[in-house]
Amino acid sequence: MILGRVVGEVWAARRHAGLHGQKLLLVEPHYWYGPPFEVAHVVAVDQLGAGIGDDVVVCLGEPARQSISGFPASGGGVPGYAKSAMFPVEAAVLAIVDRVFVDADAGTFRGQALSTVLSSAFAETLVSVGGPGSQEASS
Amino acid sequence: MLLARVVGPLWGTRRADSLVGRKLLLLETLGGARLSAVDALGAGPDEWVLVAHGSRVRDLTVGAEVADKDIVVAIVDGIDATDGVPTELQR
Repeated sequence: MILGRVVGEVWAARRHAGLHGQKLLLVEPHYWYGPPFEVAHVVAVDQLGAGIGDDVVVCLGEPARQSISGFPASGGGVPGYAKSAMFPVEAAVLAIVDRVFVDADAGTFRGQALSTVLSSAFAETLVSVGGPGSQEASS
Repeated sequence: MLLARVVGPLWGTRRADSLVGRKLLLLETLGGARLSAVDALGAGPDEWVLVAHGSRVRDLTVGAEVADKDIVVAIVDGIDATDGVPTELQR
């Protein structure tokens, strides 16, 4: 799963029947974990109601497909697949982030302390930094 | 799933049996990477599409016999976005 920020909503009238009724969000990952292509975005199905500017947790791969609830509009069965999991989906929003806590000694990312990088990524007061015991009393 | 622009169709007479009759597209992702994908929706050049990857996606869209794991699953009309999106896609 990756942390990212919703930067847009994708509109597509012509779509595979298995995507009918699904909200598609454009998410910019705060980190990218070894992408197959040099991209800076991922499109994820959202059933939680996240909006532009929200920080979210995006699940990639098979669990994302299985997390989608409901029944797709597409008709006949596909061998080996339950009808309730026939969504051609490989990314889904599984959480809307309220707050992230990062250990001050969490390591580095491209030469910067991870806590520093995350703090700038979550500029809207989302990240608190510290070690065990130094967590802020608020919230 | 990634956003990509259709560069054009890929033509190849000699192809795997499972790809006969399938439309192959050359795509360029929002980040500039190029890949090919099977298209069952009828996307045309310069249209923006949503491309999904994986055998599960392939099984559920074009069929398990197809020898390709990148599939066009939607044709994008527009994006409500704050920034970082091509102007022709912004609504």
